[in-house]
Amino acid sequence: MSKLSFRARALDAAKPLPIYRNKDLPDLNDCVSINRAVPQMPTGMEKEEESEHHLQRAISAQSVFREKKENMVIPVPEAESNITYYDRLYKGELRIPKQLFHIQPLGLDNEQPDYDMDSEDEILLNRLNRKMEIKPIQFETMVDRLEKASTNQMVTITEAKLLLNEDDYLLKAVYDYWVRKRKNCRGPSLIPLIKLEKRDGSTNNDAYVAFRRRTEKMQTRKNRKNDEASYEKMLKLRREFSRTVTILEMIKRREKSKRELLHLTLEVVEKRYQMGDFTGEVLSEVTAPLAEKPVYTVPITVTNGNRHNHKAEIKIKTHKSGGLPYHGYHHVSVKDEDPFDFVRPKKKYTRREPLCRPGRPAKRQHIVNKADIKQYDFHSSGEEDYPLSPTSEPDEENDPDGTFAFRRKAGCHYLAPCLDQTSGLLWDHPELAGLDALRHRQSLTALSVPQRCVGLARRRVGRGGRVLLDRASSDLDGVLKQLDSGVFSSSFPKGLSDPQVPTQNHRTMPGSASSLTDLLSNIQALRWRFFRPRSTQGDGSGEGRTGRPSMDNRLSGGLFVHTKNSGSGGITEEQYQVHQQALAQMQKQQLAQLQLKAPPPQQHFSLPERQNTQTAGSTDCIISKTLDSAGAHFAASAVISAPGQVNNENKPDNTSVNGVVQPLGTSRPPHSTSTSQGGTGLDRSGRTPSSCGPLLPASHSTTPQSLPNHRGHGSAVSPAHHHHNARPSPSSLKLATMATSSLDRVPKVTPAISSMARDNHEPERLALNGISETTVPMEVT
Amino acid sequence: MYVHSPITPCARLCSQMTKMADSSVDVIEGCRLPVLRKNQENEDEWPLAEILSVKEIPGRKLYYVHYIDFNKRLDEWVTPERLDMKKLQFPKKEAKTPTKNGLPGSRPSSPEREVKRKAESVSLATQVSPATPVPSLPGLAEASQVSVYPAVRDTNTFNLKSNAHDDHEQLTSLTTVHQHFITFPLICFPRCANVYLPPGEDSQDSSDGIPSAPRMTGSLVSDRSHDDIVTRMKNIDCIELGRHRLKPWYFSPYPQELTTLPILYLCEFCLKYLKSLKCLQRHLTKCNLRHPPGNEIYRKGTISFFEIDGRKNKTYSQNLCLLAKCFLDHKTLYYDTDPFLFYVMTEYDSKGFHIVGYFSKEKESTEDYNVACILTLPPYQRRGYGKLLIEFSYELSKVEGKTGTPEKPLSDLGLLSYRSYWSQTILEILMDLKPDNGERPQITINEISEITSVKKEDVISTLQYLNLINYYKGQYILTLSEDIVEGHERAMQKRHLPIDPKCLHFTPKDWSKRGKW
Repeated sequence: MSKLSFRARALDAAKPLPIYRNKDLPDLNDCVSINRAVPQMPTGMEKEEESEHHLQRAISAQSVFREKKENMVIPVPEAESNITYYDRLYKGELRIPKQLFHIQPLGLDNEQPDYDMDSEDEILLNRLNRKMEIKPIQFETMVDRLEKASTNQMVTITEAKLLLNEDDYLLKAVYDYWVRKRKNCRGPSLIPLIKLEKRDGSTNNDAYVAFRRRTEKMQTRKNRKNDEASYEKMLKLRREFSRTVTILEMIKRREKSKRELLHLTLEVVEKRYQMGDFTGEVLSEVTAPLAEKPVYTVPITVTNGNRHNHKAEIKIKTHKSGGLPYHGYHHVSVKDEDPFDFVRPKKKYTRREPLCRPGRPAKRQHIVNKADIKQYDFHSSGEEDYPLSPTSEPDEENDPDGTFAFRRKAGCHYLAPCLDQTSGLLWDHPELAGLDALRHRQSLTALSVPQRCVGLARRRVGRGGRVLLDRASSDLDGVLKQLDSGVFSSSFPKGLSDPQVPTQNHRTMPGSASSLTDLLSNIQALRWRFFRPRSTQGDGSGEGRTGRPSMDNRLSGGLFVHTKNSGSGGITEEQYQVHQQALAQMQKQQLAQLQLKAPPPQQHFSLPERQNTQTAGSTDCIISKTLDSAGAHFAASAVISAPGQVNNENKPDNTSVNGVVQPLGTSRPPHSTSTSQGGTGLDRSGRTPSSCGPLLPASHSTTPQSLPNHRGHGSAVSPAHHHHNARPSPSSLKLATMATSSLDRVPKVTPAISSMARDNHEPERLALNGISETTVPMEVT
Repeated sequence: MYVHSPITPCARLCSQMTKMADSSVDVIEGCRLPVLRKNQENEDEWPLAEILSVKEIPGRKLYYVHYIDFNKRLDEWVTPERLDMKKLQFPKKEAKTPTKNGLPGSRPSSPEREVKRKAESVSLATQVSPATPVPSLPGLAEASQVSVYPAVRDTNTFNLKSNAHDDHEQLTSLTTVHQHFITFPLICFPRCANVYLPPGEDSQDSSDGIPSAPRMTGSLVSDRSHDDIVTRMKNIDCIELGRHRLKPWYFSPYPQELTTLPILYLCEFCLKYLKSLKCLQRHLTKCNLRHPPGNEIYRKGTISFFEIDGRKNKTYSQNLCLLAKCFLDHKTLYYDTDPFLFYVMTEYDSKGFHIVGYFSKEKESTEDYNVACILTLPPYQRRGYGKLLIEFSYELSKVEGKTGTPEKPLSDLGLLSYRSYWSQTILEILMDLKPDNGERPQITINEISEITSVKKEDVISTLQYLNLINYYKGQYILTLSEDIVEGHERAMQKRHLPIDPKCLHFTPKDWSKRGKW
């Protein structure tokens, strides 16, 4: 038959192929040539090898015989299978278990040494065994450790000693042997290992380097690249979406609260109108007890690490007299108005004012009314002790606190703030009026220079780390003066610096009739806290105005606070001693600082560093260091109160000095240290508003850029400077009063002469801490 | 060896050649000559072989020879007595075109590769000498692509004078070569340009620039241009594994200090390599494995399969790869074992689960590979285990619901085994088809592929190989000839131990859904 003239169609894999037996197709031979029409599939072998003699022979043999013939097999190198010692080598038997083997993921490594002893080692071991007993496994472990500790260089004998912790003789023997053996060893290690790649690529073609890491991402699909970058982008996107959700939820909550507040306020106004309470008397009467309670607190949780931004704490207090405005304090220092005054314009946030506008009078733009304040009614303290602490958030990139983020320190014991106690102590008991209340907040305080008792005061830290003493006048003042002379051996003219200004809303204390003896016995019985400098430290300059306690001081102070809080009463003798030591240290620093300050009094914003250099000769390096760090710290904490506060020296109305210094990044109840703020300017103005640092998580809004300013500010310590900078405004005064006069039993503040402020005492701080959650102490100078 | 020779080898060789006949001729790397070997019937044969390496042990020289057209696994060290010096051919560089020409045995021989490792001056000389223009001598050598050095000719037709003339010519041409070389290294003597490449760079790629790292998928290399003389030679003499002593077939990157040992000891169960029996003994006191350290996913009778994740059990996977490399020429160990799963087949006896063979498999294959490397250890070869391994690999694919194919290139044994498996599997299906309603039974290629999980292309190639596809009356048909049917029936009788899918406890993982393999 002639060859077929048509081209065979392509083989279609989806088309059924009928199956014939050859015998059914007598004319099949005609078709054979067509078979070629199907393109020959490649064998999948290398061409070169495909043509190899034995393979070709085997293939042809198969095609002829359809079965491999014995002699047509591809020859391979021989293998033996008669290892006679096999049974001795592999001891023991294994019974086949019923279950299939399932390997435990981590059950494999049982910490056996990788090194296996050879016959050479055995000789040494036998020799050593004459003197002591050493098991092969022990020897192997030793060599194994030595090997694994050595890289290119062998470990030294001293390192070996640390490494092995063996008997000296044994160690020496094994070490020496190992050194010798390793030097003779041809390989890089006595434990034969596969050569590893080197990062420089020099081993790219080394035949003995195997199992290189796959540096590039494996391509899984040709058209869908799973590259890492887009994966990361997706992650980021997800994170940001979830953050958005959180924020939106919070906004929702805030707006709801605002609406509620609005309704309530409306109701109040209506009621007032009906009652004819146009002067606000009824209102103030009604609101006073309310305000004493801790303000509605909502711990806000933002899971993405930004929570510090949302965590603000507002303390709102109503003055009993009612004429005074509400106070909302927040890191964005919120200026507020009379709670029910809706006429004033609203402004939620104070923006950072340009620093270059010194002396500008306070602007009224930062006024927020209560409804706005409410939105910041977030309670932050206490949160840190709960699972939300930054340590549980490894997501550091989202942590705005950066290096200032709170990190738990190993070995440090963190105590939860005793909220119930503090509040119970101070605010839930309005009946504790008068002296008792004062006593809880203020302590008897004595100064060393001039040596006298300043009466009831409390201490806290002002801007830049100055220690402020808030003094309170009381009926005890007279008695306390006696105490002065009674307690201190040296007599100083005390009247010199004791211009106590009675507050307008000063309340007479019921138990004012106490006598000196009563007082003394109270003190002795630790019913009254009384802090006075130790006699040893009374020397030196009497001019200490600034104190920059070191971090340690602060820390100990902080711990102190807690002990005190938990005791809820006076402090123990021990605590007092500790405190005294801390004080001593602080004072030293104050002195040093003072020396630094002295030379350039005309310099307004001299940074501590600069001062250091200027007085390099007289400065102790260490001290200056601590000063710097302390300064930085204070600066950082000063920024807490965010934009409005940055330029607070220029705009007193925004001022909210951090009365509280906190360990970096923490938002624990602050450990304040006192610093005397040498502000004669404040002095002159009578009282200075310094809205006290809302006890906020420190540095939550700290920006590095703002640090320098604060530093400069912090170091502008001399009274004169302060005078220039601080311009109290009516509103700030208001603020201040508000702050302190939570129950108008507070103390009108006495501008203490700066020299007096040198004595920093714990009690104020303790007291401050005690009330820190809800009160805003007033800055006094 | 020529390297140590102060005079250029070609000059020396020429002078030696003039003496003719005696065996003092230096056999250098790249030379070709017939070498005595015993074939399977234990008869002497003299296949042409290439000298890959020469080593001197006290008293004598040994030559590493590759038999042309034989698989590398038969390469061996031979004594000079087995060399047929009369038919010695010297390497000729021009003929050494890269393997791309597809000619058998055309791999570049060692000297030029060796050269790269030596001082440049030496390499220049050695490089240049074979490159000298030589009068062509047609019809001389068996290997046509290798032109033969004139002096080697097995004739005495050259007289002294002509030899002397040759000699002179050699020398002069040598100098010209040098000039040429310096002037136009790339144009005149492309091969010589290699000496300028940094050591380790491959000579084949002199024009292609720097060789890149191998691709990161798969387990086999087909591009052998990165080979150097080191990997072309077996480096391990003998491996003791359990009851067996194995003679490795190919290079394997065990630690270099272990390659000089007469025997490398492997722990039968964890496959750790040890330098001495004592060490193995010590190791066995610490190693309590009695089966491969993975999950047993199949057991029937004494046969078990263990699945090992190359990422989770690196040590074992690496040890397995090192062992496997001894028997798999194209296997690459360039990259880590992370993207692979290893399925180790074992045979149980009272001592434990002894490794018989294994195959590896990419967790995710872009090319439908269901097997990366597959190996039956030599002691178990030719006993049906290989087919069992292949069958198991397809059983896994069936569970996965995919078709698969082994990664290429296949080795000779791999091709034979797979063909045999495919043939048997497909024939079984075809012969089992019963006429339906009196109609002739029919089946599509896709159906065969689905039933067997054998990739379509492999089905077609098998049908072709078996000569089953015919074009009859305008359509393709499958025809089963008598001898095919008989052959298949015979084969099926011999075939035992099929994989029992019921004993397979395997759930495929979707590795693409995981971040890592």
